[in-house]
This record gives sequence, structure tokens and C-alpha cells, in this order.
Amino acid sequence: MRASRCLIWPLSLLHICLTVIATSYEQFDEDLVLTPLPDGKVSAAFTFTTLLYGAAPRDPHTLNSPDESQHYTLFPLALGQLLREHAVTELHLALNAGNWNYARWGSPPDPAVGTGGELWAWMGTEGPTSIDARWRGLRNSLAGLFCASLGALDAVRTTAPAAAFPPEGALPSWRGAHDNGTTTSGAHEIRHASLPAEHVCTENLTPFLKLLPCKAQSGLAALLNPHRLFGADWHGLGVHVRWVADAGVEVRLSFQGVFDPLRAPGARGKSDWSLHSLFDRTVSRSCPVATTSAIRVALPNSDSYSLVPEPASAAGGVAVYDVHTAAKPLNVALSYPNTFNYPSSYASNSTPFSVKRTLTGTSQAWGRLSVRITNHRSEEMHVLYLETMPWLLQFHLHTLTARVDGVLDDTAISHLTYTPAIAHARPTMLQAVVRLPPRATVQLSMDVAKAFLRYTEHPPDAQRGWDLPPAVLVPVNVSSPLGQTGVRGAGAFVPTGPRVYTSTLLVDLATPDFSMPYNVIIFTCTLVAGIFGTVFNTLTRRWVIVRVKA
Amino acid sequence: MASTSKVPVSPHTNLNFSPTQLILTAARIWLSSLNLADTFKHSLELSSPLTSFSQVQEGIYLFNHDIDPYSGGSFRHSPLLLSLFATILPNSKRLASILWALNDLIAAYAMVQIFRARQNIGRSPRDTLVAALYILNPYILLPSLALSTSSIENTLILLSIMFACRKKTSASIFVLAFLGHLSLSSIVMVLPVLLLLIGNPLSSLASPKAIQSNLKRLAPLFGEFGLYFGFLTLASTLICGNWAWVSQTWGATLTLPDLTPTTGLWWYFFTEMFDHFRPFFLMVFNARHSVHLIIYVVPICLKFQYDPLYASFLLLGVLSLFKSYTTLSDPGLFLSMIAVFPEIHSYLRYPIVTALLHLHASLLMPLFDHLWLNQGTGNANFFYASTLVFACANGAALVDCLWAGLRIAIGPPAIDGYAIEQE
Repeated sequence: MRASRCLIWPLSLLHICLTVIATSYEQFDEDLVLTPLPDGKVSAAFTFTTLLYGAAPRDPHTLNSPDESQHYTLFPLALGQLLREHAVTELHLALNAGNWNYARWGSPPDPAVGTGGELWAWMGTEGPTSIDARWRGLRNSLAGLFCASLGALDAVRTTAPAAAFPPEGALPSWRGAHDNGTTTSGAHEIRHASLPAEHVCTENLTPFLKLLPCKAQSGLAALLNPHRLFGADWHGLGVHVRWVADAGVEVRLSFQGVFDPLRAPGARGKSDWSLHSLFDRTVSRSCPVATTSAIRVALPNSDSYSLVPEPASAAGGVAVYDVHTAAKPLNVALSYPNTFNYPSSYASNSTPFSVKRTLTGTSQAWGRLSVRITNHRSEEMHVLYLETMPWLLQFHLHTLTARVDGVLDDTAISHLTYTPAIAHARPTMLQAVVRLPPRATVQLSMDVAKAFLRYTEHPPDAQRGWDLPPAVLVPVNVSSPLGQTGVRGAGAFVPTGPRVYTSTLLVDLATPDFSMPYNVIIFTCTLVAGIFGTVFNTLTRRWVIVRVKA
Repeated sequence: MASTSKVPVSPHTNLNFSPTQLILTAARIWLSSLNLADTFKHSLELSSPLTSFSQVQEGIYLFNHDIDPYSGGSFRHSPLLLSLFATILPNSKRLASILWALNDLIAAYAMVQIFRARQNIGRSPRDTLVAALYILNPYILLPSLALSTSSIENTLILLSIMFACRKKTSASIFVLAFLGHLSLSSIVMVLPVLLLLIGNPLSSLASPKAIQSNLKRLAPLFGEFGLYFGFLTLASTLICGNWAWVSQTWGATLTLPDLTPTTGLWWYFFTEMFDHFRPFFLMVFNARHSVHLIIYVVPICLKFQYDPLYASFLLLGVLSLFKSYTTLSDPGLFLSMIAVFPEIHSYLRYPIVTALLHLHASLLMPLFDHLWLNQGTGNANFFYASTLVFACANGAALVDCLWAGLRIAIGPPAIDGYAIEQE
């Protein structure tokens, strides 16, 4: 602790000298939460937070004028540059692999656990460059920065689901007139896109580590061993930038993984784990610039376990290690005397509700989308159901039905907002508030049509099908009266809990024959030309009586 | 607009139906009460993305929920149809089935009237046959049972021609303008129908001569069509509150945003098209409302200037072949219309071949569609091949009717040792 303070203050003083605006200093905190899960697995959640004090997001009106110089010591410069370049107020990027099992693992530490890539940003709408142009620039910059296919998150996948993804920080108002005579209202809009087929791997982790002040050399980041992380049952990284109004710009880099100690060699049926067994590494040095560096272990409910080394504090069922002061190398280990017994059932109330989404129908031309939401609580609840669907799947909204425990009940759906898709150009966005009666299951279902694509639009592995992005459900308080459908003012919902993602879907689309373009062009043109030729021949030639040779 | 008719038009019908006609009517309404719409609603041959009843219901749902149905999505029906279904016409499938049955009966009535005007006779025993050939034609019956709006388009075409035969100028032109709104390609019918309005429906195939009517009379008729069309365009825009419907409805017939298989030629052609050639071929073939379809209008009308009803009939054949998003009812109308022209029947060269081609295609299309999309054992080429055969069948029918229509003028078959041929 003392060492980091010693470093930070001179650095900050240097900053004060360099930048005339003598406000910014930076703080870096790192945190690892290890949680044994009911099914014997272990969740590890790394969080690296850098706070740039006194900084504010760039006003998009100033995009044409030179930006203030950026001198960071801890704040990731590569990320900071593109945030300023595209005047992004709030940015969230998540790259996940696998399906978060809410029923067994409960709510994730970082709610952005949708399978595949997901990117959303809040940006000011005004200024010389349009928000969509900046969104395009942002996703291409991030694609380059993280070596991910985020460039594919184009307009075909971009939606604006403001209600389900409210800003996590504050949005600056920038009110008032500018030098160039324009005025600002401070309006912000969200842009959101997801790419369920994207997979996170080493090439994404390497640039991620480069954003950390200590890289993977010391501190908790030393545990981020790609060989182990990408072998985990579920893993994902996240980048979250937000503006905290009275502090500054905060970058939170997170990595989550769900590891299976029972599967580890030599486990012998016991779910014992240690940092070394999970990551094949231990913490040998602390990151000197980290203000705080803590490992928290959520202690199991049973009494029979042993945790070594002795934690610095253990209160409220959480043991805390301070990496700066703990003895190195630090290898936290939790062991049980007995073998692990799988529970016969999992507590269904670990999350307030559970959701299952399926696509039924064997045809490649149409199907039926069905979402089952079960309320585990004994009080009524409202959830905001958000579906952002590429145009490949076209909703037949008039067939949307809601069944509460098998009984048709149209009042279960309200506040419907719908943006229809445009073929080859824009995805569908469907948003509705679903009323969940106590301990009831609500089933929404509707007919969908599957699109027929041009042969060049199919991916190389066309027969595999297309991944469809997860649906998002957010528990909300509905402040305006229910029963109004088609209300576009979606700002009336106050989220009361974290987002829940459904699993992704795979849709089987009809494929053309990929070897046929020439043949089809030739066949069709021949037929058209043949009919055209015959018709005009018949129309124009003269009739004659000819002698037929016997 | 007053029009004087020099030709005797058949005395108008009293609504006395023969027992056969009553049985036919009852059978058609009974079929509609079977509620087969859900069975057929996914059939690619019976309803195209531009004519399916599911899309009508989707549009009404969005319209009633204050969501602009033309702001995107796959709703591509005319605002006129949308407003009719959202207000006075039934939205439920059961009532709509009855409506479609009545629609077919009206179309059959119109065809009988056209037949009578053509033959210049009153009631005759062949009325029932003509009506049955329309109502029981499977190409017409099945799309109608699937509640495809192409059945409504057929009725409008027949009504327009019927009014033209009876010299009901305004009614004919208004129906035609309405039809043009439902299906933009039907614009090709404007010239022959207007020629029919200034000419007569009687058969002059055997005695070709230059057009007798004063062509200057066409100008005010075109003006009237433009007026109605503009009025309906304005009405559509008022219904929607913006112009988005233009690109969503007419634009779709020109730019083919939806490549759902149909019985037509274009879906696979543009599925398999190289991206850099797509605009070119869209211009050549599919903007063929300006290039390819239009090409046929003037030559056919010019050649058959003495018989505009026959020119209309041939253009229906061209339309059923080349328009985008066809269903079975488009060729069905052309084939049923052959009954109106009994004089050509003996001059058809290969009716058996055409019939067999149709049989072949109509058996293979549903089979290959099912194998490709549901069973997964066939691929797109199978269905494409069957639509090619179907196009061959329609082309054969068109060319044969065209040939027969010209051949009549030369008279009965030549004496032994001589043949009548084209140079």
C-alpha cells in the first residue's frame, strides 16, 4: 500500500505539471472474487478498475477542434484515445464463451454474460459527426484493439434498446452555447449490437492484458493464464467505461470464469481448489501501482473446510486477502475433508426468475419462437423482455400469444415497442413488459418466418446455421399504468435487478446450391430469351402457304 | 365520361342461376368453410410474400398498435388493402375464407360476362362451363383457399375487362387503377383495356384489319387513369401519413428484397446472382416493368389492334410468366381465360404437351418444395428445376395461344400437299 502511494503521488504531481488543468490523477484497484458454486464449480471474477479523476467524456461538438492532450500513467491510452476520438460517454464490451447457467450458478458478478460478443455505447447525439458514423468508427477501432470481429457489428445488427441498457454512470449535460454558435441539449442515445457467433480466445486476452498497468507481470493479472482460462466451463472478458459525475472516467476491465475443480487431474471427487490448481500460477508479486489489490473468497456454507493461508479478515462469509501485505507467493487454497456430493436439486430461487427460449418447427421457411419465464418469488413481478433479432428471423407479431400457466392471458404483455427489420439492413427490436404472477410460468410464443438469403450472404459453413443473439430480460418497476400497448415512451421503467440473458439460438436457414450461379443465370436467361424470341418471331413473321414435299 | 357503343352488347344478366351454377356456388362456399387457410398458409406456390394473408394480418396488427407497418418488416401489401381490411373487411380467417369464396364467384361472374360479350350472346349453357373453369381451376382454387390476395387481383382484372366490354369507362379505369396499386406489374394491362374501351370485345381474329377507332380518344382515358391512380396514391399516403409505403410495396416488386421462393423465375436467379451483376440484372429483368414487361405491351397491342380483348388475354399470359412474386393464380387466370376464346381451340398446335408440362410442374413443385424445406432431402435446385418446367409450360401456353390467334386469319387447314407456315 505504501509503495503504491509513493508512486502515485509523484506521478500525479508530474501530471499537474504537464497538464495545465491541474485536476486529473489516476487510481488503479484490482480485485478477485472466488466463489464456490453449488454444483462444485468455482467462479472467479477479476475486476481491474482505473479511475481517471476529474476527467469528463468528450463533447461531440468539439470533434472538429483539436482535443486536449492525453497523458495517462495508469489509464489505458489505447482505450482512452478511441473514447476521445469517437466522443463516447459510456462503453460496454463483453466477449463471452459458453452459456451462463443461472439456475446453478445464480446471478453472475458482472451481468454482461450473453454468449458471444456484445457491445453497447452511450454517446452524445449532436455534433459535426453523426452518432452512427461514430458508432461505426468505435466498433472498427475496438475490433482492431481487441482482435475481435466487432467490425461485423454493422447496421444489420445495431439497435437502440435504451430501456434495457440504462446508463450505468452519469451522462454529462454539456448544456449551453458553443463558440461556433451551436447549442447543446446534451441528448444521448444508445447503440447496441451483439454477435453471438463470436468466441473469446487468447488473441482477445493479450490486448486485454496490455490495457492493465502491470500487464500480466504482477498482481492479480498474473493469474490470467490463457491455457487455464480458455479451458474453463464458462469464461468471458468485459470492458466497461462509464463516467462517475463527481469523480471522473472509470474503466473497469473484468474477466470472469467458471472453473471445475472436480474435473482437474487428481481431484478424486473432491472439489478442492487453490490458485495454483485453477490458474496454474500463484501471485508472486503485487502490482505496485495498485491502490488496493484484494482476493475475496466467498466461504462455503458448510463448516468442514479449510482455507490456507489465514485471511487478513473474514467477515460476513467472505475471507479477504490483501495482496500487498500477504506473504508471497500467495496461493489461496480451499480444501474439503469429504468428497463432493452433487445436490439432488438446485435451489430454484437463486435468481428471481428463470427463462428458457426455444425455436421450434422443422421447416426451413418458418418456425415458432417460444419463451418460458418462471417467477420463483411469491410476489408479482414485471420483467422487460427485449429481443434484438437479425432480419433473418421475421416476427409475425399478430400471432404473439401469452399463456400464464397454460391459460391464454393477453394482459400478461404490455408496453409493446416494436421496430420491424429491414431486409439486409436493420434488425428487429421487440420490447415488451411481461407481468409474472406469483410462482407462475408465462409462456410467450409467436410465429416466425425464416429469410431466404442471397448466396453470397451465407457464411462458409452455411449448413451449420445462424446463431441468434440472446434475449434480455430485466426486472422492472412499471411506473405508468399497464395495459397500454404500442407506447413508445419506454423510459418509464426502472430496473430493479440485473439483466438476465437467455441462451443463444441456432436457426437453420434454407441454402441455395453454392455451385450453381452460372447454371442458374444461363438456364433462366435461356428460357427468358427463348420465350421472348418465339413471341416476337410469331408476331413479326409473315404467313405463307408452302407446298410440302411428299 | 359517356361512351357510346356501336356494337350490340349482350343483354344484361338477370340473376337466375341454373341448378348446376347453384351447386357450383354451394360447393365453393362449402370448401371455404373447411378453413383450409392454415393448412395452406406456408405453401410457397399459393401465396407469395406480396400476397399472403398472414402478412395482411401482420400489417393490421401493427397498424392497430400505432406501429407504422411500412417502417420496415415484411408487410408489402398496398395501404388501400390494409385500410379495407383494418376497417370493413373481416380480419378473422373464417370470415375471410367466405369473402375469398365470394370473390371467386364474382370473378367467375365477370368471366361469364366477358364470355357473353365476346360471343355477343345472352344466357347460354356454356356459361356454367366457363364459370366452372374459373372456380374449379386448381391454380385458382388453391391460392384462394390459402387466402392469397392474388385472387383479389384476378377478380379486379376480370372486373376491369368486364366493365371495359360493357363500356363502363369510369368503372373499368378505376378498377384498373386500384389493381395497379395492389400489384404494380398490372400496369401493363392499361393499354389493352383502354383499347378495349374504345374498340369492341367481339372476335375479329379471323379478319385482321387496321384499328377502326380514333386513337385520339385514348388520351382522355389515359388522363382519367392517371387521375384515379394519383387519387389512390394520395389516399394511400393519407392512410399511412408518409411515403414509406411506396418503396415497401411497389419498390419490392422492382428490387426484390425478399427472395422467398415463388413459382416465378426470379427468386433463384437473384439468389444466385453475383453481387456485382445484381443491379444490372435487376434493371434488365426486374425493372422489366420498365424494360422487359413493357417490351411486350406495344407489339402485342399493335399486332392485335383489331381484337383488344385478345391482346389483354395474351398480356395476362406474359404477366403470369414474368412478373415478380407470382403465385399459381396468375397462370391460372390465363389458362381459365382460354375458355373465353373458343375460336382458337382448334388452332392450338400442342395443347397436350402444354397440359402435360403443367401436370408435371404442378406435381413436382409442391413435392420438391417439401423435400427441400421440410424434409431436408432435396435442395434448392430441385424446386428451381420444377419452376423452370412451370415457366416452360406457361411459355408454351402463351406461344401457342399467340400462334393460334394469328393462324385463324389464314383460315381453315390447308389442302393436302400444302401447309401454312410463318416465313
